[in-house]
Amino acid sequence: MTRGCPRRFEVAAVSDGRVLGIERENFQRHLTGCLDCSHEARALGALDAAVRALPAPAVNVLHARRERTRLLAAFDRELVTTERHSKPMHWLWAPAIVALLLLWQLRSASPEPVGKPLVHASSSAVWTMRTQGQLDQLRLERGSLSIQIDHSRAITRRLIVLLPDGELEDIGTKFTVSVENARTTHVAVQEGSVELRVRGRPAVILAAGETWIPAPPPTAASCATKPVTAIKPVTAVEPVPTIEPAPTIEPAPARSRARLRPATTSARTFRDAVALLQAGDNTAAARAFASFAANYPRDLRAEDAAYLRVIALQRKGDEVGMKHAARVYLQRHPAGFRRAEMESASR
Amino acid sequence: MIVRRTTGRAAARDVPIASDAEIVRRLASGELGALGELYDRYHEPLRRFLARATSDAEDVDDLVHATFLAAAKLAARFDGRASCRPWLTGIAAQLLRRRGRALGRFFAVLTSFQRSRAAHVDPRPAREARGDVVRALAQLSETKRITFLMATLEGLSCEEIAAALQIPIGTVWTRLHAARRELRLALVEDGEP
Repeated sequence: MTRGCPRRFEVAAVSDGRVLGIERENFQRHLTGCLDCSHEARALGALDAAVRALPAPAVNVLHARRERTRLLAAFDRELVTTERHSKPMHWLWAPAIVALLLLWQLRSASPEPVGKPLVHASSSAVWTMRTQGQLDQLRLERGSLSIQIDHSRAITRRLIVLLPDGELEDIGTKFTVSVENARTTHVAVQEGSVELRVRGRPAVILAAGETWIPAPPPTAASCATKPVTAIKPVTAVEPVPTIEPAPTIEPAPARSRARLRPATTSARTFRDAVALLQAGDNTAAARAFASFAANYPRDLRAEDAAYLRVIALQRKGDEVGMKHAARVYLQRHPAGFRRAEMESASR
Repeated sequence: MIVRRTTGRAAARDVPIASDAEIVRRLASGELGALGELYDRYHEPLRRFLARATSDAEDVDDLVHATFLAAAKLAARFDGRASCRPWLTGIAAQLLRRRGRALGRFFAVLTSFQRSRAAHVDPRPAREARGDVVRALAQLSETKRITFLMATLEGLSCEEIAAALQIPIGTVWTRLHAARRELRLALVEDGEP
């Protein structure tokens, strides 16, 4: 064959093993007679020979020994590391378990969340507590509870003590309440104030240092319609020697005054007004409460008097008078405890 | 398979020479001495192959080192053939390829910075080196160069190369064809075959 043989490409194909069997033998025969393909085969052979003839990089024996040592050391290091990692490291669990126990201990010993009431119950107390959002409801069935709540840290949190015969809302910080025979028997305020709402009786605000104990059940000798609540100084925790038949609200006495004081003029005036209200003489009661609020504007019961005046006028059916009285309440006691109720009444 | 070599000192003591398969089996079980034996047997051809395959001579030591360490890890998967040289070459080629991918991205960035300065490089050294086979090999892409060297220098068949590089055999044929054509062009221009 001449130069430009069409089978020239088969030289590399045979060399690479792309042509096998009969085709290969056929091409080998062609190769012996074709100058072009023979030249191509020689050229490819020369190329391979030139590459194979390249001088091998000089290997320094010492360098090779050093490399060998480096390789064996690296392999040894890998083996040891692998073995070390494959060993189960149970001892690592010990500090982890200890840390978990410590965390659990700290968590269980941590104080109650901010604003939660701190309750100390007597040994005979039967009570439950339920929290709904910012409202804590404490139900006292029997016994005594001493409750403390820090309103400076939980401004929006409310605490209501549900009593068998009413309820008590905490406004201050520290107070004690007792229940016996399904009746509230004792409320003492040490700090701040509470609002006591006993069924069938007007709500009472008890300030720091005041104690509330109920009057005994009315006897045949006493008037059934008379109020039965008495408020005495905090220091007079022991049974009251003489039960006031009418409600008596006294400002917090000095600690030195251990015994119950006789009722003052303001107390008598207030008591008479309440008696009129309970007797159903709403016109006279409204007038008496108005007189009390005017004469004793700084008295702790002034707000109660303003409120009860509105109630008396409402019972009387004097709607105009009731709205006016409610507005008077709002003017004098803009931050009063019955503000919401009075706002509704004034409209 | 145990081969008895009767040359040199071994002839006097008639020390049995372990086969490659036996050495690799011991290596798979973590025997340190087996790696030493394998190194003694194949570090020179491996070094030669890597020196031709990579343009950076300083990398050769590290690549030889890495190839034997990789072989130690892969020893359990050795197919037990008589010579493990093609197997080692395949490992070395794989390492070269991985390193090439990593370096390729780096050099691509460098090239983009140097493109404007390329025209100012003195062309004389390149012209002088055109006829050199080494220079011609260096002009090939790494994939073509590795494939070509595995075939010519190591004498591996196309099937072995394909298995070692984990590529289709058709790719091996294509690379070999392209490598020969480029090499011949480079060498013929300089008067060589």
